Amino acid sequence: MAAAVRKFIEKNGVGMAVFMTLAVTFWIMVLIVLPQLTMVDFSFRFKLPPDAIGGPQDQWTTTNYEYFIKGNPGNSDGWNRVDVTVFTRTLIAAFFVTVFNFIVCYPIAYYMAKVATGGWARMLALSLVVPYWINEILRAFAFRIIFGDAGLINTMLKTLGLITDSIDFIRADIALYAGLGYAYILLMIFPLYSAIESLDRNQVEAARDMGSPWWRIHWRIVMPFAKPGITAGCTMVFMLSAGALAAPQILGGPSSLWFTQIIYQGFFEYFNWQRGAAYAIILLGSCMIIVLSLTKLFGGKMGEIGR
Amino acid sequence: MRARILARGLTGLYLLAFFGFLFGPLFIMVVTALNSSSFPRIAPWDCLSFEWFVKLAGDERLQSGLLTSLGVGVAVVMVSVALGLAGALFLTQIRPSLRTAYYTLITAPILIPGVVLGISTLIFWDRTAQLLGFGTDSIFYNGIFLTVAGQSSFISSYCMLVIISRLQRFDTGQIEAALDLGATNTQAFRKILLPFLKPAIISAAVIAFLASFENYNTTVFTISHLHTFTTIISQKVRLGIDPSISAVAFIIIVLTLIGALLYEGMMKRGELKKARALPEGPGAAAVLQGFFKKNPAMIMSVMVVVATIFGIWFAIGHSADQCKADLRAEKLERQRRLEEQYRQTLPAAGAEESGGAPASQGLGAGTFGNVFDPKNLEGQAGVGEEGEPPATEEEEQQ
Repeated sequence: MAAAVRKFIEKNGVGMAVFMTLAVTFWIMVLIVLPQLTMVDFSFRFKLPPDAIGGPQDQWTTTNYEYFIKGNPGNSDGWNRVDVTVFTRTLIAAFFVTVFNFIVCYPIAYYMAKVATGGWARMLALSLVVPYWINEILRAFAFRIIFGDAGLINTMLKTLGLITDSIDFIRADIALYAGLGYAYILLMIFPLYSAIESLDRNQVEAARDMGSPWWRIHWRIVMPFAKPGITAGCTMVFMLSAGALAAPQILGGPSSLWFTQIIYQGFFEYFNWQRGAAYAIILLGSCMIIVLSLTKLFGGKMGEIGR
Repeated sequence: MRARILARGLTGLYLLAFFGFLFGPLFIMVVTALNSSSFPRIAPWDCLSFEWFVKLAGDERLQSGLLTSLGVGVAVVMVSVALGLAGALFLTQIRPSLRTAYYTLITAPILIPGVVLGISTLIFWDRTAQLLGFGTDSIFYNGIFLTVAGQSSFISSYCMLVIISRLQRFDTGQIEAALDLGATNTQAFRKILLPFLKPAIISAAVIAFLASFENYNTTVFTISHLHTFTTIISQKVRLGIDPSISAVAFIIIVLTLIGALLYEGMMKRGELKKARALPEGPGAAAVLQGFFKKNPAMIMSVMVVVATIFGIWFAIGHSADQCKADLRAEKLERQRRLEEQYRQTLPAAGAEESGGAPASQGLGAGTFGNVFDPKNLEGQAGVGEEGEPPATEEEEQQ
């Protein structure tokens, strides 16, 4: 250990060694690990007035987690119907947004990696990045304009005489799913692209020469090869859409909530930080469990994210 | 052969549909900024107008939010690039057995939902302040401090990824050579590694700033009673949409487009320069030619800039008043014609019903927004002359 430290200082010089150690420690401990641990601790506490914190009443409890399942004690249902339903629906919807996103993005990623060449491929990549840097609020707003009651689609359908009453895309959550799918296109395409790009073109040629149809080439050669990229892209899109807040706030229907909105409400409307923390952990934990088990199921490996 | 053509056609169609989906919403939003209608829409088109930009210029809340965002952005860039650089350097030197765990730990914040990061930051600093006995007026409750802390936790990971991808291509032999020739460690770092990493550091800084500027999920929890540009826009959108938000989008999209094209043009220029030692002749024409030659991105960026300047020049001279007056006159005219039509049908209806009984039957009061309701008409005959938009206007506004 001491030898390793000495070697580290020797290699980088004292100044750099101290800077690197301090910076990395600060980042990992103060910005990542400690806040998460504090949040876990906090989620097991009672909601107390500030002066009672640290006092005899400040005990550990599972109240906040029980509330998620049971709701208020006097609840007629016996369980927390609203929160559990919203939670389940959020995860299912995020799953389908991910699948939809993968289906839409895979052909483009393949095209960019294996078909397009030179300047054209770079222009394509650039035009993918540009919409991503537009504020996510504004992207959601664009979908409001399109799917709104007096929005573009409704106006067009009415002018064509196909409908007489506006279709409520917002209430049907169509606007929300389209907006979420749109928001994370880049995060799906990039990992897919970099995985497919390293595939040797000869493998595809060989399969084609042996008479394999195009869909089997993708199913048996390209997709298995690109598995790390697929895992990374799907993981990111799933986690981010389940954790999205802006798009559901702007595009969500009046009667349907996203789980992050419930967390937000707990924080800013009921000022119950403890419960908000517990819900945040429920969200994070279940997303991680889903991602890990799906990855295991398809035989991928974690730790490939972001390459 | 035919199958090949079909495949190409389908590919082209798919690309078109995909990029239509990608740019369509942005295009529509941008165009609505130029419509004088108070609801952001393309059809029906009212008047070409720049009033929403004027309204934006007078929005002080948005401007103070912009200032906050810029401040937060600069702070986040400084923190994140430093942390990302240290994290990347550390990754190349850490023992291989620890490398995976370390890598997972410092990239994890990218995957943690922004909401969770925001909440954990808020709670952590709240508890820290209480533990150390600081009051709510201390820095631990300051929205800007909290936001910088919350955003840096994951933006540092972006920076680390950008820097590590260049660091992997670094030849450590260069450092060893410098050290053998008597350079100190600090000199070797400053004179060799840092210049090599410069492009990656610049990219990381740009990405960090943009990510900070557009962040909402974390910021909304950490900013407390303050506001950033993004949280203000979000409040506006939720309270009721109007085309001044489209105008914001217009400005941001044009700036992004110019930035992206310029960046691409610069990259391409560097490449071209390397490929064929650029013939920088004595004349300005030769230099310009060298600047643009085989560089579509550069040409396009200049075109966008020129178009923007012309657009602003046109907007200053343009007035939508005439068009609006015309539009109002047109509506009045339509109203007048409807009234006339009604008067013509009135005697016929009167004959049937013998007298001035209400003639609303057959004309369907609801269909034309009550224009045919006789009671309504009496009021409107007067209103119409004063130039107030009649009921039809209201119907369109919905």
